[in-house]
Amino acid sequence: MRKITSVVERCNTIATFRRISIWLMETTARWTPITAEMEVKVTLGRHIWEYAQMADALGKRTFELRQPEHYTIPAIEAYEALMKDVAATTGTAERISALYDGMIPGIIQRYSDYIAATDPILDEPTTAIMERIVTDLKRQLKDIEALRQEVTLEKGAGTAIAAREKAIAHILAAGKAAA
Amino acid sequence: MNELGYYKVGDTLLREPPARDACFKVVMSDADMHEYGDMSDVAKREILHRHMTNEMTSVDMAAACVAEFPDAPWGLRMELARQAWDESRHVRVLYRRLKELGGYKGEFPISTLEWDITSACDNVIGRITIQNRTLEAGAMDVIGAITQTMRTAGDLETAEVLDGINTDEIQHVRFSNRWIKTLAKGNPRVLMQMAAAIRFVTDANAKFQIQDGGEVNAVGTALASPESRIPAVNVDFRQLAEFTEDEIHEILRQAGFRSLLPAEAAA
Repeated sequence: MRKITSVVERCNTIATFRRISIWLMETTARWTPITAEMEVKVTLGRHIWEYAQMADALGKRTFELRQPEHYTIPAIEAYEALMKDVAATTGTAERISALYDGMIPGIIQRYSDYIAATDPILDEPTTAIMERIVTDLKRQLKDIEALRQEVTLEKGAGTAIAAREKAIAHILAAGKAAA
Repeated sequence: MNELGYYKVGDTLLREPPARDACFKVVMSDADMHEYGDMSDVAKREILHRHMTNEMTSVDMAAACVAEFPDAPWGLRMELARQAWDESRHVRVLYRRLKELGGYKGEFPISTLEWDITSACDNVIGRITIQNRTLEAGAMDVIGAITQTMRTAGDLETAEVLDGINTDEIQHVRFSNRWIKTLAKGNPRVLMQMAAAIRFVTDANAKFQIQDGGEVNAVGTALASPESRIPAVNVDFRQLAEFTEDEIHEILRQAGFRSLLPAEAAA
């Protein structure tokens, strides 16, 4: 795996992860009032706050890496298009599947890849944030498993979304890796 | 369904109701609710059920603010995201207590009118003015009174649940007061948005509330007039939520200077 060695690449990657966290927060927030199932609604309520905290922690780290606080940059075009498609999913079961079967496992992998690729001492403030994020995201997947015991939520759109997510090698927009 | 539109009542534009499980019967007026007016077992369950579903509406409103106002200050968005979680926990804890008392989801009619009114507002200052500074502040009074009633009736467990919830509500009201003050310093338009929101919620409420009293609801309980339904003011909590002394005095005046005794409210 290629190592991440420059401050600029670290910061830009964190800013892109922040963009994804904001998208997760806004998407789950937009789905909440249009979700009928009470158990799903309250699960989304918790996750909205967790995504906000992820975005907050990442945004504070960008400031430490010579950019403004809460510096945020869009992901690569293909990833932005994927996020747009997931956000437009209709129906509770499809939405939950698209997000938690389709997107979150891939996002966990991307955080893990970053942790493995960066300098573990020099960039420890970032890895500490990301390790907490990975823990929360993994617990969210368990929340959804538990939810599926309470409410009938067929797995639908998730498989195709996961395949699309996996097919996108990097989230960093063109020119941001080596800037 | 991906977005919620609007509907009109007279000349007032309201937001279409949020989605609810099919088991819930959503009604528009107090007269259609099943308020029993006593502390019988069914009345207690109805109080918990009503409060639980009001908290669902609060989850919806806080979440909608996060989604619909991406340009709001980040600190305010964080508060609203946290509120979405708090209200979710309130739903869960009330549902747990409801089930412990033999109740179930959909046992009584519910209302989403707070959403319909609040979420019709097109700016975040208006939303937090209505949801946090008006409805949640009013809920602090109502919950404070119900907490006392539950204690008096010997249901200490429900009283503790309600007291825990009310403590979270203080922060929801406080952050709205703080943000409105902060944003108004740099932009006088904020105070105009706040005043417009208060006018809007007053006018909209008037379209649905009982006019003179004497009306009987769906389970035969006589409903008091709107003036008589104003709860005693939870002065301690209003102070913790950082209302000014002048504001608290005005709220007390509207409530006929009835207040919850601090010792009782905190007991």
